[in-house]
Amino acid sequence: MDITFTPEEERFRAQARAWLAEHAPEHQPAEHDLKARREYDLAWQRTLHDAGYAGISWPQQYGGRGASLMEQLIWYEEFARSGAHEPSTLFVGLNHGGPTLIARGSEEQKAFHLPKILRGEVVWCQGFSEPGAGSDLGGLSTRAVIDGDDLVVTGQKIWTSFAQIAEYQELLVRTDPDAPKHKGITWVICPMGLPGMEIREIRTMAGGSDFCEVFYDEVRIPRSNIVGALNDGWNVAMSTLSFERGTAFLSEQVRLTRLVDQLIDMARQTPFGGVSMGAPTSATTALADDEIARRLALLRAEVEALRSMTYRSVSRTARTGVPSSEASLIRLFFSELQQRVCGLAMEILGPQILAWDADGNPARLTPRQASAPSWVTQWLVAFSSTIAAGSKDIQRNIIGDRILGLPR
Amino acid sequence: MDLMPTPEQDAIRDSVRSFLDKELPMSRVRGLMGAPADAYDDLWRSAAGLGFFALGLPETLGGAGYAITEEMVLFEELGRSLAPGPWLGCVLAAHALAGGDDGARAALDRVVSGALRVAVCVDQWGGALSLRGDRVSGTRSAVLGAGLADAFLVVDDAGVVFVPAADAVRVEAAASLDATNPVGTVAFRHAPCTVLSHAETTPVRRAATLLACAEAVGGTARTVEMSVEYAKVRQQFGKPIGSFQAVKHRCADMAVRAEVARSATTYATVSVRDDAPDADFQVAVAKILAANAYVSNSADNVQNHGGMGFTWECDAHLYVKRARTFDATLGPRHAQLDALVAQFRAA
Repeated sequence: MDITFTPEEERFRAQARAWLAEHAPEHQPAEHDLKARREYDLAWQRTLHDAGYAGISWPQQYGGRGASLMEQLIWYEEFARSGAHEPSTLFVGLNHGGPTLIARGSEEQKAFHLPKILRGEVVWCQGFSEPGAGSDLGGLSTRAVIDGDDLVVTGQKIWTSFAQIAEYQELLVRTDPDAPKHKGITWVICPMGLPGMEIREIRTMAGGSDFCEVFYDEVRIPRSNIVGALNDGWNVAMSTLSFERGTAFLSEQVRLTRLVDQLIDMARQTPFGGVSMGAPTSATTALADDEIARRLALLRAEVEALRSMTYRSVSRTARTGVPSSEASLIRLFFSELQQRVCGLAMEILGPQILAWDADGNPARLTPRQASAPSWVTQWLVAFSSTIAAGSKDIQRNIIGDRILGLPR
Repeated sequence: MDLMPTPEQDAIRDSVRSFLDKELPMSRVRGLMGAPADAYDDLWRSAAGLGFFALGLPETLGGAGYAITEEMVLFEELGRSLAPGPWLGCVLAAHALAGGDDGARAALDRVVSGALRVAVCVDQWGGALSLRGDRVSGTRSAVLGAGLADAFLVVDDAGVVFVPAADAVRVEAAASLDATNPVGTVAFRHAPCTVLSHAETTPVRRAATLLACAEAVGGTARTVEMSVEYAKVRQQFGKPIGSFQAVKHRCADMAVRAEVARSATTYATVSVRDDAPDADFQVAVAKILAANAYVSNSADNVQNHGGMGFTWECDAHLYVKRARTFDATLGPRHAQLDALVAQFRAA
């Protein structure tokens, strides 16, 4: 058992830290301006690519860095520590679409798509969930009929983040309605903007519209865009989802530690106490309040344990070579912990959270209270972390069924 | 970086578990409730024969040359089986005596051979002790395993002292919440002792806390196993209750807490072994999260067993009581949290 890194790994850490300190762009685009976020993320990805830090976990033969698991961990730690912006509009391409093509795509598909994803030329989105198929993804009903060299797609997808700014979509369609539900699905690359497609934005409780509905009315997609075999899409998709539950969430786990440290600093500066009946009556701070302070201490302990859990999971994966099913334990703990962190921020900020512009424009009461809007936004967005990528209820089912072996 | 057990640690776990399965099944653990000290003699000698008390001692002192990371594995297994008796005191005393004079070394040999059982008093319930030369006076209450011990390892602000049982040491056994872990009050009246350390108490406090955390990790994991085993076979409405999400999801939460506690304890143990700069912080984190996990899991385990869970016959309550014993000793959660708060406020 060892909690230290090798001299080589430490050298990589020092390099990464120095590079990030110099190159991470400082000004971040407004949360609600998707076009600006797209351009910003693509430019940042190109910078990462040119320095050899793109596709940190991708194999070298596909242009990635091919970093060891320990180097990936170090990279995510340093990335989080630097405060560099996470290129979230590129998440699906880098962590779903790309890895799926690497695992199951044809040589032509890999040669065409992988360099574009890696170099920051395209945005990908996901077309998995449907209004009638959320947690029960296998029940999806968007149809695709084979007609000559095309798949003709009719149906609807939902919760598609960044559909309105994406070039490609990883799309799951039902190609055999008579087969058992997991055996009639096909995974296909859908170029966005084809005739018959319509995109409608969905406004979320956080005020933004990252989410979309996508409608398909006899949309023709070339058969050559099928990844893996016809009707084998469930297996192709599972390779993506297990990847998502493996290393893709490392960076957000690491960032949560930083968020708790920021919360402690915020509590140190935030006036607290005596506000319930009007104006503050004491000049104390939130950190000076014993109850708030103990809750902060518990959160600090919990993010520390999250890191230890992550280290154990990475250690396990390093030995076996495959992401472990224990990742569901971490995902569940992380998502609920993130909500507790953001919830405590709301209590500490008290009345400062009330002036918040739903369009996402930071409404600032005074310069001193500039932190309030971003904490509010993070709190609102965190509601999605126990829903997206397998709701917390599904995570508990996975833990019960696959890890504990309980009867279904 | 690697936080998974080494092959040697797996071998230690297998060997300890097969010993405890044979020598300390739950029927035997229950049989030892209220038993006199000599009922432990054979068990202690057998465990000593397997090197339980010398795992972390250097080979020159007859030990196995391992570290606290291997002792952690031993204590996880002891906690899993609710092993009764002053195991912690014996392992800590062996370390403390190893640095002492010839007299201490003689006592060390007897601890390692299982001939001498030592209870440890780290919590300073009963007030500060007075230490004058090689005589100690004062009282320690709620000492775990007091009535089963032949000597005491006392940790006080003034230092670490070893006190053999004598006329000047009066032990009063008390009825105990956790019948598998009997407590007692120990009064020292100008009792002859060996001072093993004058001021430095950090190593023994860290080790005591972490090995207790390891016991809690083992007990916590066992509550998950018990609930899962029961939920697979207990049928209601024509189905095993583990197929109901109300039960399944509670078991999933138990599994998460068990992994949180194990990860924090493992990381803290390696930090202490390596004397990392943040070792004390990691120990506090481990104690807080191991207590959270053990207290919550042992309670959920009662719930999962339904009416049976509320009976004396079902083992679930034994884990509930062990969990509360763990939380109350060696710095309860609120005290550990306050230690972290003090760090934030000082920053």
